[in-house]
This record gives sequence, structure tokens and C-alpha cells, in this order.
Amino acid sequence: MGARQWEVVVAATKVTSALQALTVAALALPGLLQSTTCLADDDEVDFQYSHYQEGKRSLVKVPNNRNPIEVDSIFGSSKVSLTDRIKFAFAYTQDTWSGATPITTAPLVGNGNHPIQVTSGKNLLTVGASPLINRQIFLDPQLHPLNYKQQIDASPVHILATASPETRKQGDFKLGYEWDEAAVDIGGGISVEKDYESRFGNINTRWDFNQKLTSLNVGLSYTNSDTSAILDHDAEPYITKTAFQNQIEILPYTQVLSGNKQDWSSSLGLTQVLNKNALIETNIGYTRSTGYLENPYKVMTVVFADSATLGSDPSAPNALVGDVRALLEQRPNERNQLTMGARYIQYINPLDAALHLDYRFFHDDWGINAHTFEADWVQPLGQGWTVTPRIRYYSQDAANFYAPYLISNQAFTKTATDSIGREIWVDANNPNNGQQFFRTNNGGFVDDKGNSVDITAVDITPKRVGFDASKLPANFSSDQRLSGYGALSGGVTVSKQFAKGLSLEAGFEYYTHQGALKLGGGGEGAYSDFNYYVANAALKVNLSTLGRAIADHSSHTQHHHEHGTPAPAGVMFSHMLGNEGDMMVGYRYMYSRQAGDMLHGTDPVSDKNIKNNACLDSYLRRCRVAPDYMDMHMHMLNIMYAPTDWLNLMLMPQFMDMGMNQRLLSGVTYDATQDHLHGGHQTGGVGDTGMYALFKLFDKTGHHLHTSLGLSAPTGDVDIKLRRMHGKDAGFIHYGMQLGSGTWDFNPSLTYTGNLARWSWGAQLSGTIRLEDKNASGYALGDIFQSTAWGSYNLTHWLSASVRGVYTAQGQINGAFNLTPGVANGKQVNNVNPGSKSNFSAGPMDYGNSYGGRYWDVGFGVSATIPEGTFQGHRFGVEWLQPVEDDVNGYQLERVGALSASWNLMF
Amino acid sequence: MNKLVCLLPLVLVITGCTAVAPWQRGTLAKPQMALEPNPVQSALRTHTYGSREAAAGGGSAVGGGCGCY
Repeated sequence: MGARQWEVVVAATKVTSALQALTVAALALPGLLQSTTCLADDDEVDFQYSHYQEGKRSLVKVPNNRNPIEVDSIFGSSKVSLTDRIKFAFAYTQDTWSGATPITTAPLVGNGNHPIQVTSGKNLLTVGASPLINRQIFLDPQLHPLNYKQQIDASPVHILATASPETRKQGDFKLGYEWDEAAVDIGGGISVEKDYESRFGNINTRWDFNQKLTSLNVGLSYTNSDTSAILDHDAEPYITKTAFQNQIEILPYTQVLSGNKQDWSSSLGLTQVLNKNALIETNIGYTRSTGYLENPYKVMTVVFADSATLGSDPSAPNALVGDVRALLEQRPNERNQLTMGARYIQYINPLDAALHLDYRFFHDDWGINAHTFEADWVQPLGQGWTVTPRIRYYSQDAANFYAPYLISNQAFTKTATDSIGREIWVDANNPNNGQQFFRTNNGGFVDDKGNSVDITAVDITPKRVGFDASKLPANFSSDQRLSGYGALSGGVTVSKQFAKGLSLEAGFEYYTHQGALKLGGGGEGAYSDFNYYVANAALKVNLSTLGRAIADHSSHTQHHHEHGTPAPAGVMFSHMLGNEGDMMVGYRYMYSRQAGDMLHGTDPVSDKNIKNNACLDSYLRRCRVAPDYMDMHMHMLNIMYAPTDWLNLMLMPQFMDMGMNQRLLSGVTYDATQDHLHGGHQTGGVGDTGMYALFKLFDKTGHHLHTSLGLSAPTGDVDIKLRRMHGKDAGFIHYGMQLGSGTWDFNPSLTYTGNLARWSWGAQLSGTIRLEDKNASGYALGDIFQSTAWGSYNLTHWLSASVRGVYTAQGQINGAFNLTPGVANGKQVNNVNPGSKSNFSAGPMDYGNSYGGRYWDVGFGVSATIPEGTFQGHRFGVEWLQPVEDDVNGYQLERVGALSASWNLMF
Repeated sequence: MNKLVCLLPLVLVITGCTAVAPWQRGTLAKPQMALEPNPVQSALRTHTYGSREAAAGGGSAVGGGCGCY
């Protein structure tokens, strides 16, 4: 739904005070006015991390104890020139989100957020809110909701549902060709999440006219998206799904709603230099979307108020009794969207600043008109610093089928009657067999031919018929995104350009969504207001600038050869920078998977053995589940600097994401309220951050020895919990799914490398020692000791192959998760963690003695150091670690293997 | 032809196009004058707005997922 745009760099060179240099740069450019749709000139590698945090929503009458939505995102992209005219770019994005978000809106009088109350002494305490989407309310005969004093109160309130963490991953690419006065690029990609997969392709062209003072951009794109949403197992029994019955598949533990959506977009843009200090860009775009356009997780609250219920409740003799129900939302199967925008950029001479003004108008055939105004002030401050404050205002009308909730003057279900008003009865065991029965005046029953029926032989029941869907609007949604509101946001971006083409950027934005801010008034009520902030940090490496530095400084290349070939990709801290002032940036990806047999020590173990022995600390003293698979992905960024030739400093932030599923052990009977078997769990976000110092100990031709001393800061979360389910809080997710150690850790290592002719070899001892007994969640991971040795052979002067042996030993987890008090089935309990009395389904992964072990692996890798061209000096490495033997503590899944891939650039 | 093309934005901004010779384009080439001075961050912001506002789309298809939260 968002946009991934490609960088535009109008100036290829660093700005200097010499106007002539700028002029030359401008002349050299193939297109001075490049729109965001075409690939830029400079080769670049970018990394970005961002955090989105929403504020808590108001539930008006009850406290909101649910964590609001938060999203951690990482983004990495690379853009390179394959030839002078051919450009290639690819990007990877990953988002992990969790938290509470509205699933519907309901009349406040219905107490849609049922208070979670517990008794404490003589007092009844409200400790939170639980969504309750089916209930009854009173309405007056004119269908206005009534409060308990029988006064009209139609005010709405959101009903929230919480999502456990989920992850989305996207990969995309662009390939471009550039002529002197034109460019074309094609791109495509795929975005994958557990319940949504989207594939897209695009083509963009640019023509320059008028001595390149004018550029015309034309783009066309197509997206095909499949939804396969697992309906919330807590709410699903209370949701009316009749309109989508043929799109819902019923699986053993879940119900899946499927749909397909297609979007075609076209855009036309024109960029024009107005004078030597100003330019303008105008654009118009059209998007047509068809298919399943609903949000599968949003439901519409419908109050079914049948006039026949007037006075049926003696406590409210003048009121109807409304049946509050939730229906899957229904949107049109088609949407045509038009956007028109203009962007004006003015240079402010006395301050060397630029003012960017944007306006965008949006119109669609759902009745939404929206306006966006934005102003950015880009202020260079000298020495590479730039500060950009910005402000943005957005306002939209509501969609014509938007309503907070609906009231329908009919019963949700009622007894069926025939044409003369007689109640119809049917066979309770086979209600659709066509047989109908009617009560006679003497209390007996007859069939539709008037023959008397022996009701002791047939179990009969009144026939119920559902509501008449034609009395509801054809489309309805209470999604806040389709309501009328305004949004005001403001933020600042600070960037610092370092020498050698490296730059850092940090930004912050605060956003407030309010009905009252809608242009012209008439927005949604204050109940729907919310706020969020987004903070981001980015590292950019300009390869074109670096490439020139590397070419100028050929001693670097020389230096690379001194220590032979690079170590295998899975070995960290294997190399030191040799010269004072040198820098290196690198990225390392590691993937590991566990699947297959469950092991106890070195041997496969039966489900029965696991069930009886692996969860002795649980309430049942038995396991019910075991892990089915466990995947871990780590993204590590490293920045290394040599203040002297014998000391290197290194900073390594990490980003993690994990996925696992569990299965029921054989011999255990599935319990829907206990065993969480609905498609697996995911977590992700910032991991621990490493800070290291590397010291050179010995360095002679052919032999090199260095040591590293490091600290790992506990920046990764260790308090991730599963959402409340089946009326019970669920406690901590398994130890292995937490994102960090939670403790400050000490990481020493000692590395020896040697080389002779085409051969290189090395060995390393390393360790991780926990500096604290337990983390904030009550436990500490086991210490790690690792030893490894490798040999590699240069196949050519730039490509080498390696073989490596690794032995790793890790202790079991010390301590255990702190008890997590919570509310289960209306009672305050002192612990809701897996394996507790109220949440008794547990597996070996919930116990610290089933972590750690002794592991033997062999690794096979290749490494390449690119000798010339665009990637001169870049090092790429890939290594696969194949497990040879596992000797696990407790009961654990066997390992399938681990993949490491790395990229490094020294300059 | 060039003048005709120049007329299009002129209609929108009621400002005339001045002939800017290549050696007068130094200012336009400054990073702060780029259409997107912080493109990676702009993409993130567009993605975030897209998951919270109805007026997404109209541009090129670039993925972005369901944004169903």
C-alpha cells in the first residue's frame, strides 16, 4: 500500500563553493530533472531502520490496557551502474508489527469493550477491556440507542483487537536504460506476509526536452494481491460471515478468508525549470482497483432492532431490544482513483536553503476527496550538515458507505412462517431436507400435506431464518481510514555527509489524526482520534564517490592482498583495517533453521518421551506441544574505523526476525482454548547492539594475530508476550523467540590468519559471557564458547573457496521468565505464562533446560573480492554451515543448517 | 515544440519559463533543490501514510503489503 521510491540525486558531485564545479556537474547529467520514478545516476547502498509507535486509543468508559500498534522496519537497497547507460537497483524491506487496533465501532451504550474485572477484597477492580461484539441494547421506537437511564445516546466507541507480532518481507528491483535525453526502466517485486501476498511490476519512461529544462515522465504499473486471512479465532465465532461464505475455507484449527485484488496505475508527470532558482513538478495519476478490496480483519457492527421486540423486556417497556452483531465489512468490488499534484521548489539565496511546497488532490468513486499540503525547508548548515523541518496537513471526506455502525429495523434471526402466518417447524437433525411441520390447534403437528405427524418419532424444532441482507446497505465499513478526518504532522530530518561518500540521516515525525481537523468540518467524533510518531535512522554509502576514493588510493587493494583471501562469510572479527583513518562498512545476513526430529542429547526422541519428561516444571507436569520448525534471520550492519594502525573500533547494530510453529504431541487431545495452533508465531525488530575494539597483536608477512574485546548492549526486546486469547492473558512467548539476550554481554575473541601463495588459513576462539545473572524478564541465556578453523584456496585472483570446521558449546538458560500476573476467565491470577495453571499448554521451548548444547558443523563457502569496475574493492561472501552432530540440552529440534552472506567495503 | 511544452506548467503556475542556460544551473543542481532530498525517508513516510489514509495510490505500483493493521 505504501510506496518505495528511488533516490533522485540532481547533483552527482559534492557541493563545493566553486560554482563552476556545479555547472559542470549539471551539464554532465543526463537529466537534470529526474522524477522519483526513474533511477538516479549515483551508485549507492542505503540502510534504514524505523520505528512507528501509535498512542493508546480512548475506550471512553473502560481503561485501555492494550499496547497500541507499533511497527519496526528495516530497509536496505543498492543501486549500481552495470554500464554507463544501464542501471540496476534492488531493495529489501521488512516490517514487524504488533499491538491493538480497532476492528469495529459500536454504540457506546452496548459496552463494546467489556471491562475485565476482578475481585480484590470487597472491591471490584477494572483492570482492562476485552472486546465483546455480540450483545443486546435498548433502542427507542425511532431506533435511537438508549442508555441505562433510557436516554438517547448514539455515541460510538472503537472495539480493539490485539495482534501478536507479524512480519512482512518485500524484495523489489529496477532495471533502467538511459539515453542522452530519455530513460526507461522496468521494475517488479513481491511482498509476502502470512496472510497477504502481493506481486507487482512497473515501467517508467522519461523524456527531456527544451535543453533539459523540461522533463516528461510516464509510468504504468500493475499489482496482483492475494489475501488469505486467518480469521481471529477469538472473535470468529461471533462474526457473521454469510456474505463471504464461498470465500472462506474451514481448516482443522482455523478459518481462512481468501480474496484477490488487482490494481492498474498510470501516471503522467511534467517537471519544468522555471528559472535558475525555481522548478516545478506537476503530475496526474489514475488507479483502478478491482476484486476483494475489503480489509478482512474489519467488521461492521449492525444493531438488529425488530419492532416486534417493543416492550419484550419488562425493565424497558417502551424500548426495542436490539441484537448487536458484527458482519464482515463489505466494500465495492471496484475503485477508481484520481490524483493530481504539484510540487514547487524555490531556492532561498541569502540562506542557501530550499523551500519545497507540495499540494495533492485525490478523488475516488467511493466519495472520498482528499487534500494534502506539505512544506519542507531544506537548510544546509555547512560541514555536511543539513536540517529539514517539515509540516504536513491532510484532510479527507468519508467514503459514501462509511458509518461507525448500522441499525437495521429487522430481527437478526426469527422463526420462519408460511404464507398464512403459521410457524414452520423442521427436523432438528436434518433441517434442510425440505420437510415442514405445522402446529395444529390441539397441540399436535401436521406435515405440509395436512397429515398428522408423530412427534415422538421426529425431533422437530422451529425453523429459523436469517436477516434480509437486502435491507442493509450494499456496502458498509467502519474502517477509520474511510472516515472523514484531518491529520496534522510535523517533523525534522537531520543529515550529516561525511567525507568519502558516507552519510547518516535521522528523522522524527509526530502525527495527529482528528475528526475535528477535517477541512470544512463534519469529521468523525473525537472517539476516533489517535496519534503516532515515526523515528528513523539511515546510513547511506555513495559508491560512486567511494569508488573514486578507492581508485585514488591503490594501496588499499595492495593491503587486501597482504592477508590473503577473506575469511569465510560466517566468521566475524576475522579482519583488521591496516591503515590509520581507514573505514569499512559491511552487512551480514545470517539465516538458521531448526526442523525435523526432536532430539534428547544426540538421539531422536519420541513424542511420548517429550510429553512425559520435558515439561516437568509445568502445572500439568506434561508437555502438550513441541516446536515444528524454528527460523531465525539476522541482519547485521557493521561500521569499522581505524583510529590507529593497531586499533580498530566497530559498531554493529542487529535486526532480527523469527518465525516458529508448534504441533500437538501425539496422544494429546486438542484443546482450542489452550493449544495455540493457528499458523505459527512471528517476532522481529531490533536485536542487541555490539561495540568492539580490535587490537593487532602480531603482524608479519604470512601470519597475523589479533584479539577483539566487545560489549553487547541489551537493545533487543526480551519481554514479548502473546496476545490475550480465549478470555485469558497469554504471558511470554518462548525464550527463543525473544529478540535479544536482555543482559550486557562480554564478547572476547582471538583470531589467527595465515597465507602462502594461493592458500590461506585461520583459526578463531570466541566467547559470549553474560555479565548479569538475569535480565529484566528474569533469566539469562547460557554462555557461549566457539572454536573454528578454516582453509581456503584462491581459485582465481578474485575468487576463493573455503572449508571450515566449527565447534560450539552453549549453556542452558539460567533462571526463568518472571511470573506474569494476568486475568484469566475473569479471575486475577498470579501467572499466565505458558505452562501455568491458567495457560497450561507448554512445550520444551518454554523451559530453559531445553536450550543450549554442543554442536559440530562443517562450512563450505566462497568469497569474492571484485578487482575492478563498479564494484572494485567490494567483498562478497557466502557460506553454508552443515550440522555434523547435535548434542542438545533437554529436548530440542535438530538443526537443518545455517547460511551466512556478507558484503564489505573498505575505503 | 519546446515552447509548447513550456506552456503546460505555465498554465498551472502563471509563471513564465525563463531560458536558463546550462552555466546558470548551478543552484538547481544543489542537493537541497532535488525533488526528493531524502528519498529513503520519503518512501517510508509515504508507506506510513498509505497504511493510515485513504488517499494512497495514484502513483506507480511499488508494493507495500496489506497494511491491514
